[in-house]
Amino acid sequence: MSDRVQRLAQVQDLELMIREVEDPAGKEKEEALGFSVAGLAQLHNALARLEKQIPRSDLQIYRRVRRKYERAVVPVMNRICLGCFQALPTSSKRALSETGALPTCENCGRILYWL
Amino acid sequence: MTAEHLLSYFSEKRFVPELRARSKDGVLLEMVRALAEDGAVGDPTLLLEMIRRRESLGSTGLGKGVAIPHGRSTAATDTRVVFARSTKGVDFGAIDNEPCRIFFLIVAPYEDTKHEYLPLLGKIAELANSARDPLVAADSFSAFSAAVREALGE
Repeated sequence: MSDRVQRLAQVQDLELMIREVEDPAGKEKEEALGFSVAGLAQLHNALARLEKQIPRSDLQIYRRVRRKYERAVVPVMNRICLGCFQALPTSSKRALSETGALPTCENCGRILYWL
Repeated sequence: MTAEHLLSYFSEKRFVPELRARSKDGVLLEMVRALAEDGAVGDPTLLLEMIRRRESLGSTGLGKGVAIPHGRSTAATDTRVVFARSTKGVDFGAIDNEPCRIFFLIVAPYEDTKHEYLPLLGKIAELANSARDPLVAADSFSAFSAAVREALGE
């Protein structure tokens, strides 16, 4: 995973963790099992710090995809985008690395990383 | 959940009979490495980051020698569990301040489409509580599997 995609994936993971902590049912279940779940402000701060390290254009693409889909950063396995399950052209990984563009699925627009 | 179903989340490759790590972060790193070596994770660095962050919300050391670090991440391709032991014990910041001897690392994908993550977490917490001693003594994957089957009455 390239550094650019990895940072966006970190944003995605952090946003998920924030949603989990904010979800009363999930939090209650974890606490009932004996786990401590605190520090929501700390997560929001970490997210803000992380976003500052990301180029604005990358973040804009991420936000745009997130508005459309639950998950913006998805893996590619055997040339299949695991967001929309469409096959990617054989040349797509190489072509994207040559142009320096953020790797996105031609079909659904999700941001890709190769397994 | 049957013993076979529960055991399907584990594998011999993700069984660490004796951790080399002597610190909490070292334990997490060694367990994530076991997952990565088994090809069960797309990006170990990303996964480790998420697990460390989850620990910052509150230690997953539940006390009585048990720790269950867990979380969902973009890096995880499937729901998987790593089991590890430390006969000497590791300070994991557990709620009772006692060293942890058995560790379950539970990872699940970003989208938990099968809704298995929280039930699995619950089942493993129950297992760790009811079969702690046989699990501490399990020095092989077959001994571990036998302990799980016995705990679930099979």
